[in-house]
Amino acid sequence: MTVATSRHLTPAGPEPAGADNRLVVGGAALTWRSLPTPTLPDPAAVLARSAVHALTAARQHAAHGTELLLSTVSRVDAVMRTELLTAGFTVGVLDDDGVHPSAPVRPRAAEPGRLWLLTSGSTGRPKRVGHTLDTLTTVRADQPERTWLCPYAPGTYAWWQVVTLSLTQPGQHLVVVEPDELDDWPTVAATHGVDAASGTPTFWRRTLYRDAEALARVPLRQITLGGEPVDQAILDQLREVFPTARISWIYASSEAGASIVVHDGRAGFPVDWLDRDTPGRPTLSIRDDELVVTSPYHGAGLAGPIRTGDRVQVLDGRVLITGRLDSDEINVGGSKVSAGVVRGVLTGHPAVAWARVTGRRAPVLGRMVVAEVVLAAADPSAADTGVPDEAALVRWCADRLPEHAVPRRIRVLTDIPVKETLKSDV
Amino acid sequence: MHSLGCRLRRMNELSRAQIRDLMAQVLKNQDKELPADDAAQLREIGFRSLDFSELALRVEDETGEELNFDAPGLRRIATVGDVLDFLVELQHQ
Repeated sequence: MTVATSRHLTPAGPEPAGADNRLVVGGAALTWRSLPTPTLPDPAAVLARSAVHALTAARQHAAHGTELLLSTVSRVDAVMRTELLTAGFTVGVLDDDGVHPSAPVRPRAAEPGRLWLLTSGSTGRPKRVGHTLDTLTTVRADQPERTWLCPYAPGTYAWWQVVTLSLTQPGQHLVVVEPDELDDWPTVAATHGVDAASGTPTFWRRTLYRDAEALARVPLRQITLGGEPVDQAILDQLREVFPTARISWIYASSEAGASIVVHDGRAGFPVDWLDRDTPGRPTLSIRDDELVVTSPYHGAGLAGPIRTGDRVQVLDGRVLITGRLDSDEINVGGSKVSAGVVRGVLTGHPAVAWARVTGRRAPVLGRMVVAEVVLAAADPSAADTGVPDEAALVRWCADRLPEHAVPRRIRVLTDIPVKETLKSDV
Repeated sequence: MHSLGCRLRRMNELSRAQIRDLMAQVLKNQDKELPADDAAQLREIGFRSLDFSELALRVEDETGEELNFDAPGLRRIATVGDVLDFLVELQHQ
């Protein structure tokens, strides 16, 4: 396989185009250019000790094009480590002293320009997907100057999205939030003038739920959502806090690359985007309720139509991505229910901050729809807003859904569960 | 395997009366009432398969134990008493 090296190297030297962009990590202001320059083994699986080490590895890759798989110590277990050593990678933790390498079982020649991602592995073992800086770069048009929040785990697809933007475009600065700062990110972001932020719907829900006032103090002009199904309720809630910001959602997967970007503030994408053939752009289709993407930015060896495993539903001229095919569809006595659609109805309730909808084993019908919710903090300015109980939420759903789709058991949780990928298991 | 002729009642098993209370709750949430008469027809009080499933989940949630829905054979469930008998029996499977 031939892989082109990154085309984003400046002709003058090995520095990426965004070399002088500002990076704020752990409160310290740096630039790409001022990061340390450790020599990375080639090919290397680099496990970054902290956020700054992850940025260091990304910059070294952009400058030198050495083959790289970037992840964190916590995401690579002993089995994965052995797998990587067997696949010819030198595996090493990168900290302030450089890389501490373990030699590969079977050394091999490196593939110039190759970047590897470990898929988040929400189902089964994580998988390696081959990319390049180019196929990971979503935003190609010149952008207004922005300071981006980067809340993602290093080496994930979402992390690379923000990082490639800052590496390849001058004027795209980064404020990186370490996992232990995550709950307090609006304070960090307001301090450092973050005006653009990208996160999962769960990330935004959690932020609104914990401290909407602190969020409102962040001068956001660009809000991006992705990584999970995006419903209308979360878009509307963000619009209320940020009436003038551009609110976009992105559909992207490690396999297909970025494929859908929507800026009109509505959930789903227009139905006339389906089966449109535009050079340089992904083609979107539906096959048996599944989203199929033919993308020029796909992972290595994945040319042609990719079945995404994501379930779609066409409603009022919009194609809604409702969830994973293997978990979104609940069969209730022969009637099909989309968990995502039910979730959208629940989160549309003014007192519901977050919801998870699942099928539960039941007699007669086989499965029954059930839900877990987190309630929003009561608005003290609104008089008489009682906290809804299970029966009230069931009635809310019964007014909006077919009978078999109404969750009959709704459990109230006290906090929004979130994984390292900033996704919930929804 | 239940080779003994008698059945031991489990620690957190619900009584028929407790199941009846849960059944009343399921109906009350839909502004319906559960008649006191066990012979009342389910069709007449508007208690359908979705409601039956919900009741079974409520029993599971109360006891913290899964019911073995596959165990009993087919049967006719037409009255309030049939529902209660069936769920009492399911707890023993």
